[in-house]
Amino acid sequence: MELYIQVLVSGLLLGGVYALISIGLNLIFGVVRIINFAHGEMVMLSMYLTFWLHHLYNMDPYLSVIIVLPVMFAFGVGFQRLVVQPILSTSATMKIFTTVGISLLLQNLALIFWKGDFRTVQTSYSMSSLEVMNIIISVPRLVAFCAALLSIIILFHFLKYTYLGKALRAIVEDHSVARLMGVAVEKHYLFAFGLGTMFTALGGVLLVPFSSVYPTVGVPFTLLAFVVVVLGGLGSMSGTFLAGLFIGVVESFGGTFVSPGLKEAIYFAIFILVLLVRPQGLFGKGRGTEEVGLK
Amino acid sequence: MKRIVGLLVVSHMFLVTVFLGGAFGAETLEIGALYPISGGLALLGEESWRGAEIARLQRNKAGGIAGMEVVFAQGDASTVSAARSEAERLIEQKKVPAIIGTYSSSRCMAASEVAARKGIPYFELGAIANAITDRGYDTIWRTNPTAADFSKAQVDFISQWYAPKLGKKPSEIRVSIAHEDSDYGTSVADSFSELAEEAGMKIASIEPYAANTNDLSSVIFRLRKADPDLVVAVSYANDAILLARQAYELKLKAPIMGTGGGHSLQSFAEALGEEADGVFNVDFTQYAINLDFTPGLNAFYALYKKTFNEEPRSGHSLANYMGANVVFDLIEKTGGSLDPETIRKAAMKLDISPGSTATGWGVKFNENGQNTAAAPLVTQWQDGMLVTVWPKAAALRAPIIQE
Repeated sequence: MELYIQVLVSGLLLGGVYALISIGLNLIFGVVRIINFAHGEMVMLSMYLTFWLHHLYNMDPYLSVIIVLPVMFAFGVGFQRLVVQPILSTSATMKIFTTVGISLLLQNLALIFWKGDFRTVQTSYSMSSLEVMNIIISVPRLVAFCAALLSIIILFHFLKYTYLGKALRAIVEDHSVARLMGVAVEKHYLFAFGLGTMFTALGGVLLVPFSSVYPTVGVPFTLLAFVVVVLGGLGSMSGTFLAGLFIGVVESFGGTFVSPGLKEAIYFAIFILVLLVRPQGLFGKGRGTEEVGLK
Repeated sequence: MKRIVGLLVVSHMFLVTVFLGGAFGAETLEIGALYPISGGLALLGEESWRGAEIARLQRNKAGGIAGMEVVFAQGDASTVSAARSEAERLIEQKKVPAIIGTYSSSRCMAASEVAARKGIPYFELGAIANAITDRGYDTIWRTNPTAADFSKAQVDFISQWYAPKLGKKPSEIRVSIAHEDSDYGTSVADSFSELAEEAGMKIASIEPYAANTNDLSSVIFRLRKADPDLVVAVSYANDAILLARQAYELKLKAPIMGTGGGHSLQSFAEALGEEADGVFNVDFTQYAINLDFTPGLNAFYALYKKTFNEEPRSGHSLANYMGANVVFDLIEKTGGSLDPETIRKAAMKLDISPGSTATGWGVKFNENGQNTAAAPLVTQWQDGMLVTVWPKAAALRAPIIQE
C-alpha cells in the first residue's frame, strides 16, 4: 500500500512539472493557433539563463525568476513578431517546417556557445526531501508543483475577469468573430506569445534545481506539452493542470508496475484513445476547439 | 559549421605536425589517424587523438621508428558513413600503409571493414564493442579491453571484494541492472548478466529505461522493490546523474556501480556533490592511480599539459597513448614494414606483462588480434576525486562502502 501511495505522490509531483511546462503552450497554441515545435527550446533557453545567472553571479535559481521571466517574455514577443507573424496565414506544413527549423537552430547554437556538457546547479535544497509517514516528497519538485498550481489560479482569474483575458478567450473561441467585435487580434497575439513564453520559462527555472542543463534538454518536453494541452483541452487552464497530473501519474504507475521503458508508450496509447472518444480533450470547450491548429 | 570546425581542427593538427617535426631527413612513415573530430562525438574523439599525437611527438623526439619520422594523415570520422569514406580516402589517396583510431565502436566497425578488404592493417586503440575483433579479419588488432572485459572486471570485483565485505558468498549476492535501452546499454547489460550468473550471482531485476528521460523515480521504486545488494548501471551522462540523484532522494539502499561512460565524467561529481562519493565505476585507466602500476603515466600527463595547455579531459587520451606506443613498437620490430603477415608474426610474439605500460595494461594478442592482457579498472568517487581502487596492484586507495 505504501508503495502505491509513494508512486502516486511521485507521479503527481512529476505531473506538476509537466503542467507547468504546458500552461505556456496552451496559451500560445490556443490563442495564436501555431504548432510551436521550438517550445522545448524555450524551456532549454530559460534553463541556461538560470544556470548562467547562478554560475556567474551566484544567483539562487528561484531568485533568478525576476530576470529570466521578463527576458523570456520579450523573447516570446520578438519570436511572435519576427518568426510567427509572417507565416501565420500560410499552410500548416510551412509553420511546422519553420518552428522545427528554429528548434534545431537554437539547439545547435546552444551546442556551439555552451558546449555539450551537462551542467547542473548545486543548491542546498537540490536533493532535499520531506518524509511524511514514510512517503518521500522531493522539495524542489514540490516547489514546482505549487508554482504550477499557483500559476493556474492566477491565469484562470486573469482570463476570466480582466478585459485582456476576455479578449484572449474570445480569440481562442473564434478569432474572426473576435476581430469583428473590435479585438486587435495581432496585438493580442504578441501579448499571448510573450505571456506563454514567460510561463514556460517559469517551468524551465524551476526545473534547474533538480535537472541537468544541456542543449537537447528541451526535446522531450515539446511533444509532452502537446499531449498535455490537447488532452486537457485548448483554452482550459484547469484542464492543462489536471491533464499534466494525469500524465505524470500514468507515467509513474506505468513505469513502476509495467516497465520503465514503456512508460511513454502507455500514456500515448491513452492519449490516442481520448482523442478518438473526445477530440476536444477531457476539459475542452466543445466544438471549435478540437482542432489542433492544422489549418 | 561541422566542416569549418573539422577544417580548423585538421589545420591545427597540421601546424602542430609541421612545427614539432622537422628534425628528420626525407624519410617519413605516414600512418592514417581516424577519429571523430567534428560532430557529436568530437569532444572525446579529439581527446583520443591527442593521446596518439603525444605518443607520436615523443617517438619522433627519440629518433622515430626505424629511423623514419612518424607523420599522421588525419581523417575525420564524424559519422559512420564518413568513417567509411575517410578510410577509403586515406588508403587510396594518401596511400597510408596502416590506420589507427577510432574511439567509437560503430565507426571502427565501418572503417576497419574498408581497411580489411584492402589488406591494410587497422589498429583500434579505444572502441570496446566485442564484435570488432570477433569478425575473423586477420588485419585488425585492438590494444584496449572489450565490453566483455568490462563485465568481467565488474563480476570479479563483486565476487572477490564486495561480497566478502558484506560477509556473503558470491552466490548470495543479488544484483540489479539499470541500463539505458539503446545498443550500448543493452549489450553491456546482457554480457554482465551472463557473466554474473556464471559466477553464481543472482540477477534480482533488469530495468531498461530511455536515456533522454527526465524522471527515473519509477526505476528507483522497482529497484527498491527488488532490494538488491548492488545496482549495476549502464548510463550516458544525463541519466547517470538523474539516477544517482533520485536514488539518493528516494532512499535507495543499494550502492550504484557504473560501467564507463557517464559515471567517470567530472560533471557527475559536480552535480552530486558529496553524494557522488562512494559510487563505483569500471572504466579505462584514470589518472588517480598507483603510479608504480602505470610507468610513464606521469611523463604523459606532463607532456599533455605542455602540448595542449590543459588537463586531460578523460582517460581516453591515455588509452590511445598506450595503444599508439604498442603500434609504434610493433613497427619498430618489423623494421618499418607494415605488411600484414610480418606485423602479425611480430604481434603474436609480443608479451608484455600487466603493470608495465602507462595504462597498466599488458600486451598479449590472441588469434583474433585482441589484446587479452588489458583490463579495465575499478574506480570509486572519494572526496570528489575518481580514484582507482581495484585491483590491488593498481589501487591508489582502498575501496570503501559508503555509509
